[in-house]
Amino acid sequence: MITQSNNGYLIIFRGTDWYKGLSPEQMQQVADNWMAWFNRLKDEGKCAGGNPLEREGKIVSGKARMVSDGPFAESKETIGGYFLLTVPSMDEAVAIAQQCPGLPYGVRVEVRPIAAECPMVQEVESKEHLAHA
Amino acid sequence: MSTSNKNGYLLLSYSDEWYNDLSLEELQKVVAQNKAWVDGLMAQGKVKGGQALAREGVTISGNNRRVVSDGPFAESKEVIGGTLLLDVATMEEAVAIAKACPGLRYNMNIEVRPISDECPQTARLRQLEQQLATAPA
Repeated sequence: MITQSNNGYLIIFRGTDWYKGLSPEQMQQVADNWMAWFNRLKDEGKCAGGNPLEREGKIVSGKARMVSDGPFAESKETIGGYFLLTVPSMDEAVAIAQQCPGLPYGVRVEVRPIAAECPMVQEVESKEHLAHA
Repeated sequence: MSTSNKNGYLLLSYSDEWYNDLSLEELQKVVAQNKAWVDGLMAQGKVKGGQALAREGVTISGNNRRVVSDGPFAESKEVIGGTLLLDVATMEEAVAIAKACPGLRYNMNIEVRPISDECPQTARLRQLEQQLATAPA
């Protein structure tokens, strides 16, 4: 586990069905809290940006490059949006993720360190290193 | 399905660590192809940002906000390996770009998602309010 990342962390919000059971007032409250949380993180210089995603999309898969539709609606796994955090440690990224206003309603938050370079490039470097050893 | 979107599209790549099984030469080739793919898109002004993600991390879930699962995710095919934020106007163009990804040959999957103007729960809220407003009394 990398506990320090110079490149920041991506926090990914999963679940697109959690708000279905809420009343309009509750939904408004969660949406307001979520937006206030995002703005506060930006003001504190801890968040470089973020985006909500539409409940739709396409999947391009495999050698055949087959294009298919979702499903992206009403799923526990579907990514609903993300924030790009600029904090330097996993601990701080996790602490921020734990503040997500959707958590009590079933949203899951994935916290992922951003790599300095693609892991594929790292693999090339390690193989080159072995080849020259 | 909206086919046009002014906010752009997010590509999410999903794969296992397929690249560990390639020879050095094969891997060098696909890395060079991948770089050419991204560089070409950047030169055309079609990329707004992107991240390669380390194959590790945690997931937090539930009312008690506990850390429920710990990476690394080496074995799984469901792990997001990276993102590319595209500055293109239509789903068709975003899908065409995704189809050109060199990693697809190795059974990677790419999810193509329109970026939303607002949180979907806000959109849902507006929809509910409209339904209430137009419902017969």
